[in-house]
Amino acid sequence: MSPFDLLLQQIINGLSLGSMYALLALGFTIVYGIMELINFSHFNVFMIGSFVAMGVLSLFGLQGQSILMHGAPLVVALIVALVVTMVACGLLGVLIERVALRPLRGVQGPMAMITTIGVSYVLSNATMLALGANTKNFPNPIPPMTFHIGTAQITAFQIVIWVLSALLMGGLYMFVQRSKLGKAMRATAQDPDAALMMGVEVNRVIMTAFFLGSALAGAAGFIFGLYYNFTNFGIGFTAGLRAFTAAVLGGIGNIPGAMLGGILIGLIEAMAGQYVGAKWADVIIFSLLVLVLIARPAGLLGRLAPTKS
Amino acid sequence: MDTMDTTTVTPDAKPGHENTNALHTVEAPPARWHWLSGPFERPGVRRATIVLLAVFALAFPFITGDQANIDAAGNATAYACLALGLNIVVGFCGLLDLGYAAFFAIGAYSFGILTSWQITPEWSGFWSPFAALGLVQKVVQNGHALVHFTVSFWIMLPLSGVIAAFFGVLFGAPTLRLRGDYLAIVTLGFGEIVPIVARNWSSLTNGAAGLNGIASPTIFSYRFGINATPYYYVGIGLVAFLIFASTRLRDSRIGRAWMAIRDDEIAASAMGINLTRFKLLAFGIGAGFAGMSGTFYVAKLQTATPDMFGFPVSVMILVMVVLGGLGSVWGVVLGAVLLQLLQSWFLGDLTQWVNAFGTLIHSGYLSSIDLTQASELLFGIILVIMMLYRREGLIPANRRQRALSFEQQHATVQMQKRASDITLSQIGGEGYRHEPGAVPMLEINDVTVRFGGLVALNKVNITVPAGGVVAVIGPNGSGKSTLFNTITGLTRAAEGSILFNGQEIIGLPPHEILRLGIARTFQNIRLFGTLTVAANIMVGQHARLKAGPISAILRSPKNLPEEKAARAWIVEIAQIFGNRLAPRLTQTVVGLSYANRRRVEISRALASKPRLLLLDEPTAGMNTSESLELAEQIKGLHALGLTILIIEHKLDVVTRIADKVIVLDHGDKLTEGLPDEVRRNEAVLEAYLGRGAAAHA
Repeated sequence: MSPFDLLLQQIINGLSLGSMYALLALGFTIVYGIMELINFSHFNVFMIGSFVAMGVLSLFGLQGQSILMHGAPLVVALIVALVVTMVACGLLGVLIERVALRPLRGVQGPMAMITTIGVSYVLSNATMLALGANTKNFPNPIPPMTFHIGTAQITAFQIVIWVLSALLMGGLYMFVQRSKLGKAMRATAQDPDAALMMGVEVNRVIMTAFFLGSALAGAAGFIFGLYYNFTNFGIGFTAGLRAFTAAVLGGIGNIPGAMLGGILIGLIEAMAGQYVGAKWADVIIFSLLVLVLIARPAGLLGRLAPTKS
Repeated sequence: MDTMDTTTVTPDAKPGHENTNALHTVEAPPARWHWLSGPFERPGVRRATIVLLAVFALAFPFITGDQANIDAAGNATAYACLALGLNIVVGFCGLLDLGYAAFFAIGAYSFGILTSWQITPEWSGFWSPFAALGLVQKVVQNGHALVHFTVSFWIMLPLSGVIAAFFGVLFGAPTLRLRGDYLAIVTLGFGEIVPIVARNWSSLTNGAAGLNGIASPTIFSYRFGINATPYYYVGIGLVAFLIFASTRLRDSRIGRAWMAIRDDEIAASAMGINLTRFKLLAFGIGAGFAGMSGTFYVAKLQTATPDMFGFPVSVMILVMVVLGGLGSVWGVVLGAVLLQLLQSWFLGDLTQWVNAFGTLIHSGYLSSIDLTQASELLFGIILVIMMLYRREGLIPANRRQRALSFEQQHATVQMQKRASDITLSQIGGEGYRHEPGAVPMLEINDVTVRFGGLVALNKVNITVPAGGVVAVIGPNGSGKSTLFNTITGLTRAAEGSILFNGQEIIGLPPHEILRLGIARTFQNIRLFGTLTVAANIMVGQHARLKAGPISAILRSPKNLPEEKAARAWIVEIAQIFGNRLAPRLTQTVVGLSYANRRRVEISRALASKPRLLLLDEPTAGMNTSESLELAEQIKGLHALGLTILIIEHKLDVVTRIADKVIVLDHGDKLTEGLPDEVRRNEAVLEAYLGRGAAAHA
């Protein structure tokens, strides 16, 4: 491979990874925008998503690495798996909010954040106890069609990831910008008190935010499984932390920012793997996080809110 | 004129802006546990309990006699040390550190590298002095002269604390000015980086396999080896020292500053606390505790691998702190002991019971389940349950408040009736007097403040003469509080200058401005919600006291009288308000009435011995007689020589105390003059009551 093709190949890989991080980062950013809460349970909603997707695919008989379906049945199976995963994860997010976070609403300090760490631990360890600590094979049902640009190649399933992510992100953006509930979300993010006084049902807005964010995390979990062909109870931590970095990089609370940040983190990870060594990828990403927070705390697209005194 | 009065007397002018943030952080323990906690409120019982605990801890190896138990107890001491350190960062200072185990790792690897065969440079003359001190040995291997590090455990114990503290400051410095929730994520990232570096920098750390051959400590030529007992005693000694240091720090100027930052950063900096310095101090001391624990732990295990210091360890320590009680020194030790018991004993036994039960009912799942793997699940459950049902932990940091007696609550208000009765030994006298012809105390020249497109102050000029009382009035949104925020450094002016006794103060941080002698109160009351009335007022003295961390721990001869004088001084200040605050000094401010909270804020500002006192609507929420009582007290403070700048809506108060009134409207200075002149000014009436209103007034 020529150096240029190598670079191109890593850009292709980075965009695929980045789409996944972007979907995951959106969940952080929506919830943070409305509640100013870093939701660590999001890490493992993503992990659960990969298991749900694996379960649904296996109901269709899709197991292991062999290609068992083609054409319309495959598309139907994938769409059903995606929808079920997203709804299941969305409901899990709503449940977490209702049970563990709503009682803490209005409590100051790191209390709510500590609770989400606890919830995250419960999710991952309960999964481990129920399904075992070993790594599971995630099915690879998409036929290995490839397209070539020079010697760099794009696989069919990378294109599936791109299209899927673009549709989901576009849908979310339209929802937030155009729908009445989306407008209520934006209003609550800017000023919860004023929104409340204008008749916005804050509980409903927060539940919607958790549902949407968690559903996107489920989609990201599905993509993770397709991309890496494995899953286990521990995948949430690293991916979640990178996605959170993406949200901060783009400007936390800012929806286009999370998308941009996710793509950038995916590219950085792919480049680091190629040119520096995969084992240093996290060091580079977290160092970048620290640098961004120091140099531009509001992120690339975010704007700092005026300080209240 | 009456019309104007009634429209401007708005006690709760901005209900939406009510600052309640700090007042609900940590609740007092519920009364139903009082039968258990009550006896411990008596100092005698507390002391006796500590002695009993110490005796038990010292006798423990003889009681059990089992090496495995002593070993587990030794591990518990290491975790207790970590919990004590994290408690300083999270519990005292309110900084959520999710990568705390990184400092544990730094302490551990510092010791491990300097006492093992991991690094063996070529021998040269450079090393001779170190060899003479016993820090290194010359070793000849295959004809090569090599350096073998043999630094003593007893040197490394404090030294690794210093090394870890250095890294704490290094990593804290750029990140501590971030918002608290960002800090959590940065520390989490940092906590990930350190084990990755340890895993991948094999030449220094031997990578994933871990450091081996770490020398065990010796004392008087007795080598600890693999005997668990001496390690246990070292651990107990370390825990005892860290409990002692934590308690001393908590009860000092340092601890008060940390808790003030935790409760309300803005108020803390306005009261003279250098936020960056004190956050770094907490971060550094917490890291230092972790570094010492790391050295102890690695000496005990005689190995160090990257997996010993990952995120799960940071979370485990956090669980200990949350379980025991954020900010509670004895609580976090209890939390560490309980978690160690849970892991090393309870879960193992429970597994055996469940397995036996599973065999009985022929359940393959139950008979083979290993619950010791479920410890992290339990950590998660503990975190959630504690946060939902008992946020203050098992042993709350705040002792239960004894309610005032009925007589005290309903006591007739007694106070100095006349302004001239007010005296304060440390305020007033020559230095405070107005000197005719001297520069004005405060000179605000052409100050403009913008928030985005909004001009909050537009080329405002105000002069406050030394010894004057100047009132600022104006409708809501006219820029009055912005003016105060600009003077005290919370808001940066875009243009103009503010001279305090001839010195430019724009650009100075709030704590420097307080140090120069400007103290303020807040319109929305910003008290430190978890602290007592006395502690709140003590925080006001922060800039005037000197105790540093070491003299606070040692209670040095310099520190003790300073602290004593400071306590006498707050009692004296509380006397200004007669018997309103004095009987409530030991109460937390949560239980105070609105008016008393305002009085505490004024007392806190006075405690810093200011030259210029800025009062932002001090009588808001007070009834007429209380307002006039406060007006009288303000006059008394003025008589002592204090210069006062006051924002006030109640014109009867303004008329009573002010020599000069300044009217702001939409960021512009409308006019200034004597109170009576301003009352008759048509532009003022128009600003308050609308066009044409002047004709009817």
